[in-house]
Amino acid sequence: MTLTAELRDLLGHDRVLTEPLERWVYGIDSGVVRGDAQLVAFPETTAEVASIVRLARHYRMPIVARGAGTGLAGGAIPTQPGLVVVLTKMNSVEIDLENATAWVGPGVINLDLSKQTDPLGYHFAPDPSSQSACTIGGNIANNSGGPHCLAEGSTVGHVLALEMVTADGDVLVLGGPAPDPLGLDLRGVVVGSEGTLGIITKALVRLTPNPPDVRTLLTAFSRVEDAAATVSGIIARGVVPAALEMMDQRMTEAVERFVSAGFPTDAAAVLLAEVVGLSAAVDAEAAIIEEVARENNATTLRVAADEAERAKLWLGRKSAFGAVAQAAPDYYLHDTVVPRTKLVETMTRVYEIADRHGIMMLNVFHAGDGNLHPLMAFDSAEEGMLARVKAAARELVEVCVEVGGSLSGEHGIGIEKRELMKLVFNEADLDAQARVRESFDPDAVFNPDKVLPAGSRCFDLGRPPLEGMWV
Amino acid sequence: MTSVRSALDGLPGQVAPIAGAPEADATVAPASIEDVETILDTASEHHLRTLVWGGGTHQGYGGRLDPVVVLSTAGLDRIVDFQPEDLTVTVEAGVRVADLEKHLAEHGLTAALPEKPGEATVGGVVAAGISGWRRARYGPTRERLLEVILVTGDGRRVRGGGRVVKNVTGFDIPRLATGSFGSLGVIAQVCLKLWPLPSAQGTVTVADGDRALAAAYRPQAVVECDGSTKVFLGGTPEEVEGQAAAIGSPVTEGWDWPGELDGDVRWSLRVPPSKLRTAINEVRADYAYQAALGVGEVVISGPDGDVDALRKWAESVGGALVLIAGPPELYARIDPWGTPPAALSLQKRIVQRFDPVRILNPGRLPGGI
Repeated sequence: MTLTAELRDLLGHDRVLTEPLERWVYGIDSGVVRGDAQLVAFPETTAEVASIVRLARHYRMPIVARGAGTGLAGGAIPTQPGLVVVLTKMNSVEIDLENATAWVGPGVINLDLSKQTDPLGYHFAPDPSSQSACTIGGNIANNSGGPHCLAEGSTVGHVLALEMVTADGDVLVLGGPAPDPLGLDLRGVVVGSEGTLGIITKALVRLTPNPPDVRTLLTAFSRVEDAAATVSGIIARGVVPAALEMMDQRMTEAVERFVSAGFPTDAAAVLLAEVVGLSAAVDAEAAIIEEVARENNATTLRVAADEAERAKLWLGRKSAFGAVAQAAPDYYLHDTVVPRTKLVETMTRVYEIADRHGIMMLNVFHAGDGNLHPLMAFDSAEEGMLARVKAAARELVEVCVEVGGSLSGEHGIGIEKRELMKLVFNEADLDAQARVRESFDPDAVFNPDKVLPAGSRCFDLGRPPLEGMWV
Repeated sequence: MTSVRSALDGLPGQVAPIAGAPEADATVAPASIEDVETILDTASEHHLRTLVWGGGTHQGYGGRLDPVVVLSTAGLDRIVDFQPEDLTVTVEAGVRVADLEKHLAEHGLTAALPEKPGEATVGGVVAAGISGWRRARYGPTRERLLEVILVTGDGRRVRGGGRVVKNVTGFDIPRLATGSFGSLGVIAQVCLKLWPLPSAQGTVTVADGDRALAAAYRPQAVVECDGSTKVFLGGTPEEVEGQAAAIGSPVTEGWDWPGELDGDVRWSLRVPPSKLRTAINEVRADYAYQAALGVGEVVISGPDGDVDALRKWAESVGGALVLIAGPPELYARIDPWGTPPAALSLQKRIVQRFDPVRILNPGRLPGGI
């Protein structure tokens, strides 16, 4: 028997792909690195996932779990010839309205869940820009964010429990529906582990009540510093808006050409702020935001008059990456975080880097939490361009780390930033993370070569386990 | 290899025994993270069971321990880095919650830690995974731990996370540390995400807490104590007035948080939020209780009686009944946690990799880990 034959016995012919074109399609996600998908399997049940894991282990084939493949850090590609397990067919939704939770399959599309729960008065709060395509399994793997995680937190705060297939092919449930489940918080570690600890087959997610009212404000400034000061000023006045999004002039121009959202293209920075709550509360908070924006020399100040105008503003924000596709054939979207007070300094230095390398850079970011998304637009056909883009990307991350920031706010490490981990963690820190990974998956069956740089597990550190202890 | 006695004598930061702590051969209060590393390296070398002690307020959780060394975090009491504009604060583990919140309040901020913390330290609250009433609004403490420095059982200093409010760089060591009860390492320093302290604060007394919880749109907390229910509101003055109007009851200014329940025997009953009403009804009438509506926790206090039926029911709905305070005989008779979690062997494998000789708070976690 071969792995292909056994998988076809298990799943049927149609749910195992082996043709070169099919393997090519599943050999890449939305990042820039291509992997080697030897086989592609589409399970429909947890039991099938468990059988797949056992089979793949028997044939010593690495396993890479995958949702919609919208990840940008290469987290869903097999770096070694491997089996790609696509979870999009596992898309059941069981809503528990009394507890405002739902058990969902990993293949449920983020926006589909919110559409299903909207008539019931709830939504799933994490809202990455790719929410109309990305899956909840992928959101959990990457601990995804989105504009509204300023007030609501990233995905991890919205996941109460996980059903997971382990490296032994066992099924475990981590966490639970009651507060503070007993023992170590393994749920919290699996979220954001980028498919390296197991395959998530089901998740209990928290649903957030739809706000009774909302105000969305568009403000614009002739200086980026004024926009940044407005962000700080709003929070200093005790208001944490549901979202605080900023775009620079180049990005605003690109968006306006693409969707005409009504952003002023002559402003250095456009700031989109949203507050949610009871009507009286949002009016008061919107007034504070207007006041702070005025104090900081806002050149445009507009509250969306109705849902249509609000939707248009958000369409503009969420179309940013699509808009760039018109500006240049290729783009490289980055994701780093800096302390919010370092935003202006960081941006100035980031522009310098791009200029020095002769690369067009546009910026759109979650200003409220200091999460930058510098975007380099270029033509990879141009000789030496890709090398320049990569060099600029590295410098950009170094600047962010230097001002006290981190490698990624919501896209993850994947393969893209794996070697950069050494910029923020020392040998003992990386070894500790490798020990966590080893506890779950000692043979690195799941998504090998991701997140941690090679050689992170350092056997010289610390003491050997006491003989006769447990395991 | 030196003798155990001379190893104990050589530990840095020797202090007098701490009132309330179990008897031990040595009590140390290291003044630096380096000293914590030295102490744990020595303790691992000589297999010295070590009990970690903060304010002593959450020592009732988990299995009992007969320590050789008590390691107090009292000497780690510095606020390391406070960035009010970035909404972050980095503190050493021994900083008292009350002192930190007082300092933060002067800048109009809060870490949303327990409101009536007593002597509790930040490190203790994080290690025990304790949250305040305001978790109904801001989520549990574990959602606000941005960075942790942990000294593992064998004395390695490990840092996880980072001092930014949003971060997905590497495995989530901060969440692993929260609620780990010292089993992975001594939590030496943490960075917490902060929230603005609402400019207006008000309290409303209601008859129907469940209805008020829905009407107020995300109040700070709804707490029911022995049949009386209070809704805690916060935000701009307009928001507080709006919330009170939505509930339909008059608001009194300020927050008067309930203090800890009296009684020598206390339990934490944890259930899915929808089962909270049933949970309250399941509790015997001679018990006092405090229930966090929308959260699903009821803390109860009463006579040292038979709780098997209540525990069985709690576990049957996906919850737990956890002993949080009681006389030693009770701990000897009953497992303080109840049925351990399903992933016990995985929990053991992780603990073993952080504390290979298993000297830190051994037996404290569920399943006797």
